[in-house]
Amino acid sequence: MSRKLFFLASGFYFGFVLSRVGASNYQVIFRMFTAEDLHLAWVILSAIIVANLGMRYLKMKGNLGRGGKPIAIKEKKLGRLSIIGAAIFGIGWGMAGACPGTVLAQIGEGKILALFTFSGMLFGTYLYGYLLARWPKIN
Amino acid sequence: MYQALFVDTWPWWVGGILIGLLVPGFYYFQNTALGVSTGYGNLVKIISRSKLPWLQGEKFADAWGWRVFFIGGMVLGAFVAGRLKGGTFLTREMSLFTEVLNWPFLGSALYFFSGGLFLGLGARLAGGCTSGHSIHGLANLHKSSIIVTIVFLIFGAIAAAFLRVFLLGGGAP
Repeated sequence: MSRKLFFLASGFYFGFVLSRVGASNYQVIFRMFTAEDLHLAWVILSAIIVANLGMRYLKMKGNLGRGGKPIAIKEKKLGRLSIIGAAIFGIGWGMAGACPGTVLAQIGEGKILALFTFSGMLFGTYLYGYLLARWPKIN
Repeated sequence: MYQALFVDTWPWWVGGILIGLLVPGFYYFQNTALGVSTGYGNLVKIISRSKLPWLQGEKFADAWGWRVFFIGGMVLGAFVAGRLKGGTFLTREMSLFTEVLNWPFLGSALYFFSGGLFLGLGARLAGGCTSGHSIHGLANLHKSSIIVTIVFLIFGAIAAAFLRVFLLGGGAP
């Protein structure tokens, strides 16, 4: 299977699961942040645990991918403004009741307002590139 | 059976297991870290044909790279999930938000656009989003991702508390 087809299929799987588990529902996210309903917190936590177990299993097998190619795990490095960026992201997450993944699921479900969250995300991403061109130090 | 699979919200652990498998799956099959938000850079490059130096880097050399296919697949997967569940396709509702607030559509649109702007800018400064940092990074016990995720959650809770008090009424809706 070609690389792009693999990601198209796994994207389909991810979007389907996010939608079915309620992650694309505004109030499920809102109520996670107000601690009224921890359904989604459990989804995320159990996903982290399963992912961790899977990574441990791969490590046990010598960190080899399919065809025996070595797996390279990269840690994301923090930039100068990463903490501020994380705070900005958190506010957006709480406001929009969506993150960059779940907004795609909202769009697929036909939620018109999600198109505005999505457009805002594109604009915010562009803004980052624009600011970076002016002030390379923000990275 | 149909009801449990396609209509009712799945139990958290079903979603957790299926989402968690993506991280080792991506590494095993493609030697790639799970992540969504970087793909928005690809989309910006495709849509705006921007000459921003950031988008000329190695990461975005192929604007139509795998991330665009991943993003497209996510929309399609949720589309199918939504159609199997039933109900009207195009809707202006956003559950609690539109149920409680009687804002004109343009007001809500502007509100969600602003939220998206914060998400887009914040994700790039933080170096990733919920999937890249909070799921992929935490699963690999990366220190940077642990710090970033804690800040995500604190400020998400602050934003939600603000909304609860000033917009959606203080009590439980």
